[in-house]
Amino acid sequence: MKTANQQTPTIPRQGQMINLVPYVAGVLILVILPVFLSSYSQSVMTRFLIFALFATGYNLAFGYAGLISLGHAAYFGAGGYTVAVLKLHYGSDLFWICTPLGILIATIIAAIFGIIALRVSGIYFLLVTFALGQLLYSVAWNVSWLNTPGMQGVSGLSLPTFGIAGFTLNTTSFYYLVLLVSLICFYLLFRIVNSPFGHALVGIREGEDRMRSLGYNTWLYKYLAFVISGAFSGIAGVLFGYYNYLISPTHLGVGTSFLPMCMAIIGGVGTLLGPVIGAAVIIFVELYASIMTPERWPLILGGLFVVAIMFAREGIGVYLWRLCNKVGHYYGSTKS
Amino acid sequence: MEALRVEGLSKNFGGVSAVDNVSFSVEVGERLVIIGPNGAGKTTLFNLINGQLPATSGRIHFLGEDITTIPTHRRAHRGQARAFQIISLFLNLSVLDNGLLALHGTKPYRFKLFRSINHYKVISDKVQDTLRALELWEKRDELVKNLSYGEQRRMEIGLGLALQPKLLLLDEPSAGLTMEECSGIIDMIKNLGSDITVVVVDHDMDLVFGVAERIIVLHYGQIIADGAPEEIQADPRVREIYLGIEE
Repeated sequence: MKTANQQTPTIPRQGQMINLVPYVAGVLILVILPVFLSSYSQSVMTRFLIFALFATGYNLAFGYAGLISLGHAAYFGAGGYTVAVLKLHYGSDLFWICTPLGILIATIIAAIFGIIALRVSGIYFLLVTFALGQLLYSVAWNVSWLNTPGMQGVSGLSLPTFGIAGFTLNTTSFYYLVLLVSLICFYLLFRIVNSPFGHALVGIREGEDRMRSLGYNTWLYKYLAFVISGAFSGIAGVLFGYYNYLISPTHLGVGTSFLPMCMAIIGGVGTLLGPVIGAAVIIFVELYASIMTPERWPLILGGLFVVAIMFAREGIGVYLWRLCNKVGHYYGSTKS
Repeated sequence: MEALRVEGLSKNFGGVSAVDNVSFSVEVGERLVIIGPNGAGKTTLFNLINGQLPATSGRIHFLGEDITTIPTHRRAHRGQARAFQIISLFLNLSVLDNGLLALHGTKPYRFKLFRSINHYKVISDKVQDTLRALELWEKRDELVKNLSYGEQRRMEIGLGLALQPKLLLLDEPSAGLTMEECSGIIDMIKNLGSDITVVVVDHDMDLVFGVAERIIVLHYGQIIADGAPEEIQADPRVREIYLGIEE
């Protein structure tokens, strides 16, 4: 620390000297591990990645800009429904069409909802986003065009095709597709939160009045953060549509909106990778809980939430990060 | 040349008029101090000038342009900087981040999405110079909430100045400071260049008479006296309602 003070070409600080080891290790685990797993476990890993992406995108609005949205399932579901409707009415599951269209539709919905919801702030913002999400839920419930005849929601979805002859996806290759898309998204989010834009979002969360008098158009920042975050939710939704083979109105509802919030809080609000840890915790605990005692899962989730808030206030992700740093420091100091 | 001209400015909250038909103007480079008892409308007046509150009636002109209806952030771009009465630095962020946010605010690349915030060397250098001048460089990775109150004050004013504003609005800069810290602030204000116009609200008489070239006294939202420090000291009405309370 002290030595860094003398040489100062640009600003030296911890953030610049990113310790790449945990990231590389994490990516390697995600790349290699599925090779040794059953296809069921691979599909759980896929689910984890999709929700990690959803939660991380959500956290840009929630953790960074401080926008407590309870309606992000609307954009997630919009992505999913794009895949569903294209399959149902047009018989297409082409990745090149569904994904950009899903992102576009999610973004447009976020752009419209953002204008409405950002007229208010705080708890009222939460209520408006919640109401808008439920609005889409009831639309999906009632419009027959959005449902497979005879049921609520759209079933019979399949993994994406690429329009390349002889190339089809199976569970394993779909996992790697999701991994690739997620990594690209994480990288983009990493760039965003470290940019002047990302820092401005944190400033707005910490003190909006001050940001205004410093010359920031805070409304526009919050709006852009909300829309970008909606777009990432849309990507996650598209992947989820392919993954789940079924999209139903619940995927637009408050239950789904609550998941990324919960993941962000458990993993670490306002950190980039906290929500990934949160998603890991929730998805894997859910897996085992639903094997052991299917009805008790909400109770376990609630307990987990309470424990995380009481003992790892800043999130399990942040807690693990500190632990990791401590261990690193310990070994660093014994070596020298 | 006039830096700021306020004409018939009023602000009503419900039926209460916090600022009532106030008119005054400030020349470029002038040091104006606004005093008045608690509840006189001083902070409300600042909120109107800086745009946190919309005016009920009246006009505000800044450097010859009517700014009555433009939002706060655009006023900042035109050269207003404000230090708040209650410290409004980002307490949970580091000193360095506070500096970066302050200096990026009026720059065109504040919207950049995919570049690192450290990419802009001009800004980084400026932040570094500013923090060094404030003697806070060594503490750049500290969270602002861990600084002393005096350091926070110094930082808030210092960052306001680093924006090279044309008009600096200081709301009770001496509040909660020790005598030495306060005289540090007085020196700082005195040493500003003559292109910066300064409007200060304060209670501390050392600071008021230390920096003022002109004093305006507000009472129940109205200007009851406006003049040089000696005139204000001699004004019997001011002595009665304001200075008298001091003794």
